[in-house]
Amino acid sequence: MLRGMYNQLTPAVIEMIRSVSDHVYTGAEINPDYARDEMPIYGTKMPDLAVQPRSTDEVAAIMKICYENNIPVTPRGMGTGLVGGAVPLYGGVLMDLTRMNRILSYDLENFVVNIEAGVLLADLAADCLTRGMMYPPDPGEKFACVGANVATNAGGMRAVKYGTTRDYVRAMTVVLPSGEITRMGATVSKTSSGYSLMNLMIGSEGTLGIITELTLKIIPAPKAAASLIIPFRDLRTALATVPKFRMNHMDPQAIEFMERRIVMLSEHYVGKAVFPQELDGEPINAYLLLTLDGPSSEDVDRQIEQAAGIALEAGAMDVLIADTHNRIKDAWAARSSFLEAIMEETKLLDECDVVVPVNKIADYLEFVNEQGRQCGLDIKTFGHAGDGNLHIYQCSNDLDEAEFRRRVDAFFDIIYREATACGGLVSGEHGVGSGKIRYLVDSVGETNMELMRGIKKVFDPKMILNPGKVCAQL
Amino acid sequence: MNICVCIKQVPDTAEIRIDPVTHTLIRAGVPSIVNPFDTYALEAAVRLKEKLGGKVIVISMGPPQAAEAIRSCLAVGADEGYLISGRKFGGSDTLATSYILSEAIRAVEKRENIRFDLIVAGKQAVDGDTAQVAPEIAEHLHLPQVTYALNIEEHDGELRIMRDCDNGYDIISVPLPAVVTVVRLPYEPRYPSIGPWLESKKRTIPVLSEADLETIDLTRCGLSGSPTKVKKSYTPVRDKHGTIFSKVPAEQAAEKVASMLSEAGII
Amino acid sequence: MNQLNEYQNMWVYIESEGGKAKSVGYELLNAARPLADRKGCELVAVVIGYQVESVAREAVGYGADRVLWIDAPEFASYTTDAFANALVALVEKYRPETLMIGATNNGRDLAPRVAARIKTGLTADCTEIGIDEDTGNMAWTRPTFGGNLMAVIMCPDHRPQMGTVRPGVFRKGAFDASRRGEIVRETCRVSPDEIRTKLIERVQEVADAVNLEEAEIIVAGGRGVGSADNFRLIHELADVLGAKVGCSRAVVDAGWVSHIHQVGQSGKTVTPRLYIAIGISGAIQHLAGIAGAEKVLAVNKDPEAPIFSVADVGIVGDLNEVVPALIHAFREHRKSSVT
Repeated sequence: MLRGMYNQLTPAVIEMIRSVSDHVYTGAEINPDYARDEMPIYGTKMPDLAVQPRSTDEVAAIMKICYENNIPVTPRGMGTGLVGGAVPLYGGVLMDLTRMNRILSYDLENFVVNIEAGVLLADLAADCLTRGMMYPPDPGEKFACVGANVATNAGGMRAVKYGTTRDYVRAMTVVLPSGEITRMGATVSKTSSGYSLMNLMIGSEGTLGIITELTLKIIPAPKAAASLIIPFRDLRTALATVPKFRMNHMDPQAIEFMERRIVMLSEHYVGKAVFPQELDGEPINAYLLLTLDGPSSEDVDRQIEQAAGIALEAGAMDVLIADTHNRIKDAWAARSSFLEAIMEETKLLDECDVVVPVNKIADYLEFVNEQGRQCGLDIKTFGHAGDGNLHIYQCSNDLDEAEFRRRVDAFFDIIYREATACGGLVSGEHGVGSGKIRYLVDSVGETNMELMRGIKKVFDPKMILNPGKVCAQL
Repeated sequence: MNICVCIKQVPDTAEIRIDPVTHTLIRAGVPSIVNPFDTYALEAAVRLKEKLGGKVIVISMGPPQAAEAIRSCLAVGADEGYLISGRKFGGSDTLATSYILSEAIRAVEKRENIRFDLIVAGKQAVDGDTAQVAPEIAEHLHLPQVTYALNIEEHDGELRIMRDCDNGYDIISVPLPAVVTVVRLPYEPRYPSIGPWLESKKRTIPVLSEADLETIDLTRCGLSGSPTKVKKSYTPVRDKHGTIFSKVPAEQAAEKVASMLSEAGII
Repeated sequence: MNQLNEYQNMWVYIESEGGKAKSVGYELLNAARPLADRKGCELVAVVIGYQVESVAREAVGYGADRVLWIDAPEFASYTTDAFANALVALVEKYRPETLMIGATNNGRDLAPRVAARIKTGLTADCTEIGIDEDTGNMAWTRPTFGGNLMAVIMCPDHRPQMGTVRPGVFRKGAFDASRRGEIVRETCRVSPDEIRTKLIERVQEVADAVNLEEAEIIVAGGRGVGSADNFRLIHELADVLGAKVGCSRAVVDAGWVSHIHQVGQSGKTVTPRLYIAIGISGAIQHLAGIAGAEKVLAVNKDPEAPIFSVADVGIVGDLNEVVPALIHAFREHRKSSVT
């Protein structure tokens, strides 16, 4: 147990931290939200002190104090994580970076933007658009900090065309557990300069260092876009259609799939029926939601016709077009609300975020649904059909927590193993946090885990930064 | 049942911005959409047609680019569309507009060799926000009207309309032909399906100008036919110069604010 | 048309339901009173209904010099045909120079029908009414483009000049029982076959728990609140003040709050005594919904937020600190005012 390694916060240490930042909270003043993220089932714990630094220097100064006094530090953005990554499992200091939310500067000639890590994704996206630029990574949670997106290498719905967050990070400023400040990466895109420390940081979930500033790649925003809602009689046919777009040289910006039940659930929650549930009397059991973008509306119209042809030939029941701003927004708002709709309706919830090869999705989901039945769990799924990243939710409204936990653990074991067997991985985009460590070990193997632990020791010899996460010994 | 849907192409007011330097409306680059309330009216019309048979014809008065809006209606169930556009129509206020549209409705009936049983529109256009044109059309055509519809159903050759009231709703019956305006409905307007969408791209929208509306009295059109005149317009400058507490601890500011409001008798 | 100068006096239509006047008619009387005085003309209230004598008398106490009163069973409930016929008959008989109608659902149904029959100009949803100095015509000010642009409209060559005004834009005056005015009973019968719409059923819904339009105090939250969970701060503040909860469109779009709480151009227009905007930036479409608020208190961490330009009082700061502080301060004031 690591617990014996850490010291408690003394009044002297608290004073030192107060001399660095004006926004320090202790005792009853600490916002109770800090004890958890969006998946409280992975544990909750209040920090002993919460601080909201306003600059890299403040972060570094506080980090240094904690380093010298052996106090655990947990970095946090908006707390929207789904694997317990921002929960201060060992108490100590919680560093809330949301006050560091300035967009610092654009360098449009080099297609980059410089921001503080606490900038919200929605704000960055909107700001870029005002300059005719687009920051492509578009994870579902729009009110998360971009720095945290980078720390988890968040993916999102545009990943199928544009790639993940990793592809858009050029450089970063990092505060190391020792309190030192270092800069990694560069504005240029091609580098071959030593080990890529920056790539280690991306996806390290706040266990190697705290990202305080970022230089991100942006691209010219497409001039026109449209979305297609494609209804199918069954999921298998829907998923089999997905690779056909690429094969026909099409490059949709996003391809999402969803099943009937989850669509009905989210429409009940949002209060608006966007996706039809039947066509000419036939029930619709699955959908693909596609976005096409391009340099002009004529180009997009052409793509719509082409994509519709491909879908109908592959067995789609129809193709519905969302070609106005409001229509597109409505279609995607329905999609964005899936998780919240599930959360609203479900007492006990857990989640599997796996990624499997695209052509294995249908088989894998059939397997998952069957396992769910056998384990006695209510399973709801949706995901990014374009890259095989699936969000599988285990829900229960009537089991008690212990029984739920037991069944879910059994279920996870089986389906994670199956994902790995298919050639996939344990987490497509939500990260490992504390909740998924067991599955990471199974998935990457002991050799790789040892390498990870070694790297962790190099960055954080005192093991004070976000302890208990990613590659911590269980 | 033959139904005429009156639509308007409007700027997407959610996207409108004010130029920070000139304090004027920036209209460039603001996308044009079919007035949202009208999309509900159209959906209601198409559903009635699907149930009872007949034709749904969309008409709109506007500049040439409004043809796009009409075309998009063809993709969601309208059978025909007519653009009412002409130099002499420009500058019309609601009275002149409603007069022109009522003449256009009669002209379309003649061309299509039908009589409209129902004329339906959204309750108001989101740029003008007057909600005047449809009731005025009803008056020009001497038809009964029901406004603020939340649902429209056919019942023995008449319409049963759920009408929005302060504390609930009324069910009103009205004989046909009639004019109805729609607030919203218990269902959303449909998305265009690929077949009709592609078809609509190929259609040309016929334009009816002054020459095509034989009986129209031009003195009742355009500026000369408009009793209301805009004297001036301005972007509202909001500058209340209120008391703003900044860089003051929250407790202190809160206390001051509570005192202020308390003294003013507001709380 | 008759000569313009044959048209005289300012008329305000007093809408009523179930024998009781709706407030908007009296609000308009109050707003029109100084204008009628300036013009040196009569301010006339028009009351049409069934068993509405008390409304006719009340209208005098709210500022009318004269009341034209039609009372018959066919006017028990609003219908376009009956009321338009009656109002037009009165207008043709007396030729008012100006006619104002409250922009309720019924008012917005009636006014354009009447304007089209008389073939005169109607200006809807005015936020200001005045007299143009140069011409003596009414100057009607109204918002367009969701409140992004204001227009001043006149109707120079047609009479009556017509305008509608939304409830809550103006305030009622104090009722003065000592005021004297003439009440004229008018006859205007409308036969049943002239009334083409029939009321089949009237459904009163249980009082909407979110009747924002009548709320005296509203606490509204915007994107800055941060999450659906954090909206409990808004609810707590509302509870302390006995206020209703509102929100901005962004929050509805994000799925945090139901659209029935939405305030703004595509939501509800509100006219509370106090509107508290928490974490709301102040987009124009939102401001359009609160233009009628008496006092606005804004809390936002961004000192440049447009909401501050319409706020009477503002606090720049983190709402997670400020709102609890406000809750505490208001609670203390409540306590001290009770004792």
